[in-house]
Amino acid sequence: MTDREQRAAVLPGGVAAGAPARDGVPATRDGVAAAPRTIEIGYGGNERLMMNMGPQHPSAHGVFRAILTLEGETVVAVDAVIGYLHRCHEKLGETLTYVQYPTIASKTDYVAAMTAELAYVAAVEKVGKVEVPKRAQYLRVLVAELQRIASHCLWLGTWCMDMGGALGGGATIFLYCMREREAILDLFEALTGARLLYGFHQVGGTRYDLPAGWTEKCRATIDVVERRIDEYEAMLEDNAFFLVRTRGVGVISRELAQEVGVSGPLIRGSGVAYDIRRHEPYSSYEDFQFTVPVETAGDCHARYRVRMQEFRQSIRIVRQVLDGLPEGPISSRPGVKSVGQVRIPKGEGYARVEGARGEVGCYIVADGGPKPYRMKWRGASFSNLAVLPHIIPGHKVADVVAIMGSVDPVFGEVDR
Amino acid sequence: MTGHLVAAFVLLNAIILVVTYITLLERKFAARMQSRVGPYYVGWPHGWLQPIADALKLMLKEDVVPAPSDRWVYNLAPVVFLVPCLLIFATIPFAPDLGLADLNIGVLFFLAVSALEIVGLFMGGWGSNNKYALLSAMRAVNQIISYDLPFIFAALVPVVLTGSMQMSAIVAAQEGLGGWFVLYPVIGQLAFVAFVIATLAAENRVPFDILEAESELVAGFRVEYSGMKFALIQLGEYAHMLGTSFLGALLFLGGWLGPGPAWLGPVWFLLKAVVVFLLVTWVRWSFVRIRVDQILAISWKLLLPATVVLLMATALVVALGGGRGA
Amino acid sequence: MERNGRPAAGFWGELGQLTRAVGRAMGVTFRNLFRKPVTVMYPDTPRVYPDRFRGVLALTYDRETGEENCIGCRLCEYICPPQVIKVEMLKGEKRNYAKSFSLELYACEFCELCVQVCPTDAIVMLKTFELATTDRRELLLDKDRLHALGVQHEPSWATGNRLRDMQAPPKAARAEAKDARGDGKE
Repeated sequence: MTDREQRAAVLPGGVAAGAPARDGVPATRDGVAAAPRTIEIGYGGNERLMMNMGPQHPSAHGVFRAILTLEGETVVAVDAVIGYLHRCHEKLGETLTYVQYPTIASKTDYVAAMTAELAYVAAVEKVGKVEVPKRAQYLRVLVAELQRIASHCLWLGTWCMDMGGALGGGATIFLYCMREREAILDLFEALTGARLLYGFHQVGGTRYDLPAGWTEKCRATIDVVERRIDEYEAMLEDNAFFLVRTRGVGVISRELAQEVGVSGPLIRGSGVAYDIRRHEPYSSYEDFQFTVPVETAGDCHARYRVRMQEFRQSIRIVRQVLDGLPEGPISSRPGVKSVGQVRIPKGEGYARVEGARGEVGCYIVADGGPKPYRMKWRGASFSNLAVLPHIIPGHKVADVVAIMGSVDPVFGEVDR
Repeated sequence: MTGHLVAAFVLLNAIILVVTYITLLERKFAARMQSRVGPYYVGWPHGWLQPIADALKLMLKEDVVPAPSDRWVYNLAPVVFLVPCLLIFATIPFAPDLGLADLNIGVLFFLAVSALEIVGLFMGGWGSNNKYALLSAMRAVNQIISYDLPFIFAALVPVVLTGSMQMSAIVAAQEGLGGWFVLYPVIGQLAFVAFVIATLAAENRVPFDILEAESELVAGFRVEYSGMKFALIQLGEYAHMLGTSFLGALLFLGGWLGPGPAWLGPVWFLLKAVVVFLLVTWVRWSFVRIRVDQILAISWKLLLPATVVLLMATALVVALGGGRGA
Repeated sequence: MERNGRPAAGFWGELGQLTRAVGRAMGVTFRNLFRKPVTVMYPDTPRVYPDRFRGVLALTYDRETGEENCIGCRLCEYICPPQVIKVEMLKGEKRNYAKSFSLELYACEFCELCVQVCPTDAIVMLKTFELATTDRRELLLDKDRLHALGVQHEPSWATGNRLRDMQAPPKAARAEAKDARGDGKE
């Protein structure tokens, strides 16, 4: 808040009518109760405190500013300010060619980079009607599911750390989850050479094939991870402390979920059985058997249950892929030899994938050259965050952290 | 008179040394529970010099005082916080005759003085002129006051069983095989469990550490302190932690009683206090925290009635002749 | 204790549940106390790099002749997404060379695209990342530095030709695909 706002917040009378509330943004917003910018210390005791859960905060999951209006300990309104991580991805999509951009695409959702790259590459292939060989499709499914496991490990660790303190039980679960995530990242390192931002996909297939001995290592790692998930559930499942923090907190009703446009575990935790892998299968997902976990309660605990079950389903899919991986080329196009190699004829299209956080989508308008004319990125977390002003008011400050963790935003996706 | 001064000086230094190294113990213990190593390189190979390095760092840090803070309150808060935390050690006897002031109302003095830290805490939160600090100080006052009552009642169970508030008498009443009060059927165990839970809350340890809640309020009332003042607050916290561990070992685990010659007594005492401390640490590193209204609900709706009933049951047992009265 | 939105299981039932849950959680942490820590004591223990590790970049010499592999074709410069490579070509009689080759390692995103496009396997990535320095100018690698690095450390498996061979569809499939697409550019 600027100095002016801070003074206005403590003086009766408040900000002059019609003046912008902060940084040039108008004071009211449709649909969401605009927080009064004054403290009315009156007979009714309507005393409100505006607190900044600022961009630098241990549990902001990135750079996110939430201006909370508090009445005592209860949050009355939330104003979300984003854009601290804006890096002009969509403009980069116009200046970089189809062979260059996949490595950049992974930096939107940097926690689940494989699905981010997949969204871009799938969109380009859709517009250009490029075939992807079967082996490449299976490899894409393999890495996407491994990435989902790794991303959910990070989610569980950071969420428990937010709720339990960096010096406390939360940190314990965080380190256990990191231990498992490191094992999966070692797998990715053996496959691509990089741990976090892979550049694995290219238009027409994938860039890397499985090295020798990788399948055995993968199976061993998956077995270990599956056993450890049992341990996490033992630590959290019936834990009364955990349950009181998450049951009934941050309830997204079914109608709200569909209206605001959340996706992924958020909408599946609210009773809508929508999974892009099931409803619009891409990259041979129809060949695999898995169940789509759905919970109806809509609170943080339901989303937690959905993600824990997704762990197991992803492990199931990985095993099926490893068992049924066909031989063949990993790309329908020769390897990248020059920067303008891939030219996509005129057209436009949108491809969506089920990322760890929800629907990640990419809309490409191609004009026949080596670069898209326009690229629009639908980040899952951007739409998921839109639900916060609806569900947070009424809860306590401590619940804000629990809710944000269960929404699991990654700000690379939000701000692009 | 000088004898007392010298003894007090020695005791103070001993406490500070033990407190410093107990932070290292906690860090190593927590690290092993989290599949990692903990402090290692400083004082290779197991981080023996890490606490010294931390203390030096805090002493050399610049003391940043926020401009709009309430000067007197802000500067006095660490001292007001620290003094009760160190004063409680005065009443603890480390061996049958080795105690600074083995008052015959020892337990009462301990419990009363240890509750005074809340004043220093609130002064810190208020004087910092920081919304986060204030929020956390308000939560702290709520929480510590709520949990002092079950703490007192749980600590009173051994007192009732012994019939005296003098700490050495309580230890003397635990002589004999299986004499420790924690082994006293039903009442002893329940009282010990209640004591540990109340300690967790009185010490702002997870799951009751809503006071600091690093991920929300980033260090709570301590957030505006740096350098030596922060060191004093840390010292006070861990000293209080150690003090209640000593009290727990004394009330429930038999104090200095143990096999071997009499001079081994203080060693046993220290070991038992460390066991209580590690128990509390183990709980701390296993759970997520709960919200402040849930903390208060546990205290008023669960723990307080339970400890009251427990105390009445103890009184009944003693009246029926089961006490270990001195 | 209240349970939002669910009828309480009865006081003793809840208490029993709580005790069991507490015991289970503390049991997990207790068991971990006796597991070997997963910490790798780097740098005392050297890090084992996988074959394909994408580390620091370097320029290579030809195995047999000892000549520089780089022909100054600038393909790596054009493909680099953050544009950190700058090359100047020096024309020679039999083959071309790179007159100057600079790579800004502090901005490099280690995507391996330059390695991918190099026709002569000149630029490779090494199995090391240990180039930390206090002066950013040391990370502006010039040609000599790049060659020196290439000699000092072990290169990764990936070179341009190997990557392209791995990605290339077999000739029959390519011909088929070309027919099916008609006039699509490859």
